[in-house]
Amino acid sequence: MHIVIVGGGQVGAALARALAADNEVFVIDHDPAVADVFASLDVEFIPGSGTSADVLARAGIKNAAFLVACTGLDEVNIVACAIANKIGSPETICLVSRADFLGASPEAGLEQFGINRVLWPEAQLAADIEQVVTAPGAIDAEVFAGGVVRLLEYRLEADSALVAAPVRSLHLPRGSLIVAVKRSGKLFVPRGTTQLAAGDKIIIMGTPEAMREVAALVRPGETGERQKVTIIGGGDVGLEVAERLEKVASVEVRIIERDAARGAKLAARLSRTLVLNGDGTDLELLESEDVGRSDVLVCVIDNDERNLLASLLGRQLGVPKIVTRVSRPGNLRLFERVGIDVALSARGAAVASILHRISGGTSSLVAVLEHGEARVLELTVSPNFVARDLKAIGTPEDVIVAAILRGDLAIVPRGDDRIGPGDRILVFSTGAASERVQAYFSGTGG
Amino acid sequence: MRLSLVVHVCGLLIRVFGLMFLAPLAIALVYREFNDALGFTVSAVVTVTIGQLMRQAGGISAEQALEGMRRVEGFAVVSASWLLIAGFAGIPYLWVGLGPIDAMFESMSGLTTTGATVFRDFSQYGRGIFFWRSMSQWLGGMGVIALFVAVLPRLAIGGRELFFAEAPGPDDEKVSPQIRRTAAILWRLYTILTLLLILALRLVGYPLYDAIVHAFTTLSAGGFSPHPLSIQGYQNPAAEWVIIVFMFLAGANFALQYRALARRDARIFVRDEELQAYTIVVLVAAALVVVALWRSGSSSDLVRIALFQVLSIITTTGFASEDFQLWSDQAKMVLLGLMFIGGCAGSAGGGPKVVRHVLLARYTIRELRRTLHPRAVLPVKLGGRVVPETVLQGVVVFFLFYMLTFALCSAAVIFLGADIVTGISATAATLGNVGPGFNQVGPMAHYGDLHPVSRIVLTLAMWIGRLEVLTVLVILRPEAWRSGQWSSGNPRAGS
Repeated sequence: MHIVIVGGGQVGAALARALAADNEVFVIDHDPAVADVFASLDVEFIPGSGTSADVLARAGIKNAAFLVACTGLDEVNIVACAIANKIGSPETICLVSRADFLGASPEAGLEQFGINRVLWPEAQLAADIEQVVTAPGAIDAEVFAGGVVRLLEYRLEADSALVAAPVRSLHLPRGSLIVAVKRSGKLFVPRGTTQLAAGDKIIIMGTPEAMREVAALVRPGETGERQKVTIIGGGDVGLEVAERLEKVASVEVRIIERDAARGAKLAARLSRTLVLNGDGTDLELLESEDVGRSDVLVCVIDNDERNLLASLLGRQLGVPKIVTRVSRPGNLRLFERVGIDVALSARGAAVASILHRISGGTSSLVAVLEHGEARVLELTVSPNFVARDLKAIGTPEDVIVAAILRGDLAIVPRGDDRIGPGDRILVFSTGAASERVQAYFSGTGG
Repeated sequence: MRLSLVVHVCGLLIRVFGLMFLAPLAIALVYREFNDALGFTVSAVVTVTIGQLMRQAGGISAEQALEGMRRVEGFAVVSASWLLIAGFAGIPYLWVGLGPIDAMFESMSGLTTTGATVFRDFSQYGRGIFFWRSMSQWLGGMGVIALFVAVLPRLAIGGRELFFAEAPGPDDEKVSPQIRRTAAILWRLYTILTLLLILALRLVGYPLYDAIVHAFTTLSAGGFSPHPLSIQGYQNPAAEWVIIVFMFLAGANFALQYRALARRDARIFVRDEELQAYTIVVLVAAALVVVALWRSGSSSDLVRIALFQVLSIITTTGFASEDFQLWSDQAKMVLLGLMFIGGCAGSAGGGPKVVRHVLLARYTIRELRRTLHPRAVLPVKLGGRVVPETVLQGVVVFFLFYMLTFALCSAAVIFLGADIVTGISATAATLGNVGPGFNQVGPMAHYGDLHPVSRIVLTLAMWIGRLEVLTVLVILRPEAWRSGQWSSGNPRAGS
């Protein structure tokens, strides 16, 4: 496939690295300094502006199947997509960083300029952070299919009721399912005989009602209390997270921002949030504002080093749950290794989403978990598929059908639930298996 | 400050104001009160002549002068022309036999929509005079200068400074970016509401003349009535309910009412934080009055009586549907408190205005929170928008000067022989443009027996209160005068 990437930043580089092997990739960037990054990759680097028709022509936009505009400037991305759409007919994917560009309807949005898909990674990140923050005790959280299925990730404590017996004899609420266990850095789908242990991270999916019971089971006595959330860093993500959390009545939000002028802007936009002007890595400030008594610390400074420092200070002060934004995807694992509960990367999520789009398939990827080690896919079962009971489906060890979606209802299947052609299903799989899963459900299943 | 410009523009305004005498002149002729009619004719001639002379004495061509109007000149024009217009509006009272102090008091009470009177015997005066008394309130309610800004093309440019100097609310909300159009829209709405009230009062049985004069003084939150017993004299509960509704509207922001009407969206009305606070204060105060009256033994129609009196005082109208001088001290205390609240900004009501109380309360809470979180960024917001610090300081300073003026004036009135309750309530009622106070100046009594100097002091209090203190006090600063000169040939030269 012929793919043009406008912008050689971190997103562009990660995309190029992933796509170079199987595709013809052209990277356009006006800064020759970034050319070095691409010199080692099997891609063509074209210095120049992505908004120039000449430069786009040199990248062969006429024959391109995809154009990904991922420079740091929204306007440049939009113009590049619009021009590419006029010259050729690539599918255009445009990264933006402001809410203004996400129109309420296709007519009002960027679709009118021939842009097929608008991605706002920071907003996605903020939504993820909100999910994690509003699930007490959980270290990761997602919702699927418009809210009828929820996913929560917990770290098991030694006194948890779940470490007592093998999975099959745990009395989990009906409508919930343990889909994965992560033990000493290794992720696997548990079988009935798996014995959970303290220190394991477990991923559970299920209906919202069942998940409420699960939360009560895993973390007894943590329901209905007001949650105190402290956000460090009042950039786009910090503001977006605060705005989302303000809508949750049981959450009390504070945000610490270093720049006084930015702080004034935040205070003007936010109504219930307490805006503090100071350095989030200043231990004295954190102590005087009693940040240690927060239930969640969210570090979203646009700088990995300072984020890490702020997170570790928070851990030192005794904050039970720490969510940190990571800019360089390479740092993700390191962050979690030093004790940060959830490390999230906006760019990483954007890259995964774009790659999924480009690789196509009938399924849609709805989540990437554990930094790419696991995925949740939403699939429509092929009409040729021969209906059968779940227990008769020989799913590989690293795949599990988490839910069957019928209308507005989600069924968390047991062995005797039937899957037939046309069903929509949510499948949890570890990273490598996802292509095999798609192939299986889009065939006859034989 | 260029004095020639101030004199010129004042002359311009006064000359137009002279034409207003034609209305009471017509009424006097209809009722065959020929002596009063002559009085109005003389008033008109004197006013127009003096206005014309001042215009010529100023001598700058209007276009040139108004383009160069500065803020301090706007304040000076508004302050001076209100004082002068009050003087001219008092000529008819002189004609029918009031002394100069009383004529000025009555006239200022009219224009500032106060409604305090020095008339001792209502039967002495004709219908023309009572019409003029009510009409002067109607003109003052929306602002004489706003009216002139709306109708005089010559004030199209300098009108901006004049408009805001006359109605200096804490936020300069406009319904149109063009100040002339804003003034015209507000005056049109005001006129339509007045016509509606005239119609409603006719329907519930008021004679046409009474319907008109009471509509004038209700919409303007003025409170003059040709009946010596005010609204009580009519003994008409339906009319009282009608007046309750229109008093509420008169005390609410007219620009807000216009926007809600123009967009046909009642939520604009409901969502406004000042209006919410205003409604809550009215309801709480009415409940307190009901309890106070009930405990002191009265029982019939308490809700209507309490609502009427509470709205009458908080909107600074000053009607009385009962002689509240006879009420218990508890109920009177509620009314006295309301005198220090006033209507909403941009309404016909006087007083410190509800929005300033809202801002002051939030400012205070903010300062308390700041001691708990010294590093916090805590903007004060109104309707979701941040209120600039300069506006907040303006509010604090306003209250300081308001209370200072109140203290000085009431001390003066008490030293000149009034009892404490009279002195305090008379000052609160005139500075807040309410009208009646307690004891000697109660709703069924009059200000005529106060010491003459007290009456002068209270006349000034009405003037200062109507122009919201700072407009008047600013031009008393020496700096405003130090740069004073008769005129400057080159408008850019003076700074």
